[in-house]
Amino acid sequence: MPERLAYLLSVVAIGWAVTFGLRALPFLVFAGRDRELPPWVERLGAVISPVIIAGLVVYSYSGLEWRTAWPYLAGLLTVGLHLWKRNALASIVTGTVVYMLLLGCGCTTRQVNFGAENPAVTVTSAGVLFEDEKVAPKEVPEILDDMGVPRSCVIHILLEPGVRAGTPAFGDAKAVMGCLVQAGYRRSIFVTRRQATSKAVPRRPSAKKRPRQAVQ
Amino acid sequence: MSAIGEFAAIPRRERRAIFRRALVNSIPVLLGYVTMGFAAGVLMAVKGNVPWAPFWSGLCGFAFISGTLSFAIVPAMAGGFTFGSVALLALGINFRYAFYGFSMVGRWRGIPLWQKWLLVHTLADEIYALDVACPLKDPLKNRYYCLWNGTLNALYWCVGTTSGGVAGAALPIPSRGIEFAMVALFLVIFTDQMRDIWRQWRKRHA
Repeated sequence: MPERLAYLLSVVAIGWAVTFGLRALPFLVFAGRDRELPPWVERLGAVISPVIIAGLVVYSYSGLEWRTAWPYLAGLLTVGLHLWKRNALASIVTGTVVYMLLLGCGCTTRQVNFGAENPAVTVTSAGVLFEDEKVAPKEVPEILDDMGVPRSCVIHILLEPGVRAGTPAFGDAKAVMGCLVQAGYRRSIFVTRRQATSKAVPRRPSAKKRPRQAVQ
Repeated sequence: MSAIGEFAAIPRRERRAIFRRALVNSIPVLLGYVTMGFAAGVLMAVKGNVPWAPFWSGLCGFAFISGTLSFAIVPAMAGGFTFGSVALLALGINFRYAFYGFSMVGRWRGIPLWQKWLLVHTLADEIYALDVACPLKDPLKNRYYCLWNGTLNALYWCVGTTSGGVAGAALPIPSRGIEFAMVALFLVIFTDQMRDIWRQWRKRHA
């Protein structure tokens, strides 16, 4: 937790430092002199700002379900409404609610099995697979989050034969679990193919219980 | 409302009138800031994956006084960002703030450091617009107005972000797709900028 706390505080501190620095910049540049803003700076600002915001639009779309049509539809609606009514708040709220409704009606939900019988997350000696698609360990919680999988869901991670403690692929498996835990998916478990296909896993007496029995 | 230092030079009644003017002028911003801040706070609570969401949303609101960054910081809070990319994000989003101060340099020269700090810290879009539009000619009164303007609006923003964090953490708000709010904000800003450019272009060619 302290590490997470330090990370969060650092993020806020960096955001503050950059923002405050930008706001204070003119006061530092023109500290001693009373000058007008040079026209080229003004022109530069007029050009750079829209370019940056356009870049941010593109960048922020990568966090949405950008492979589907819905974010673009909601985006068109937002821009159209804003051109028409010029009410920033109304445009943002309407666009967001419509996007949420589009997602909520199941338009983009893929059916994925996270259960023990056929887990979506598989670790092979060649790397981590999500539904037969190769992904990086840290992408797994992002995909789950995008799909709206609740944090309380048990995520089974299938270890292919040959992936066991000591092999490099087991490092991948541990990385996936670590990333899941960090993102709040605290209930992930490793399963092997045999456990995954069997209907009932035979119960074994747990190691913890034995000494207690001895005391009795 | 007790006078602070040099502002004692302004008669008490006039000080009250300036404060009231700042309060009235900030009402449209109050509506916008509280609702937008609320949305940013909810986003922080449901997508930021932080403990004590109201604390973090409130802290971000207070530290940035920047709507766009308060939204955009949420994925960074969730984790996985390098500090360099956080800095780059903040730089890109708030680059325009570097241009706001230029028109204020002369007006706010040689004032006490805490006032300069407060005025610069709260130099967000709407607050800047109100500062610029302040009709008071007397430098002291003008600054008194600007200080209240910054304080009040920053307060609205913090109230919005904190209450949004509380609501997002406490209520079962459907969160799937709520991240579109940030994209919508960027789209709205971009639309406004394009409209400005279009208007200027037409004026020049008319």
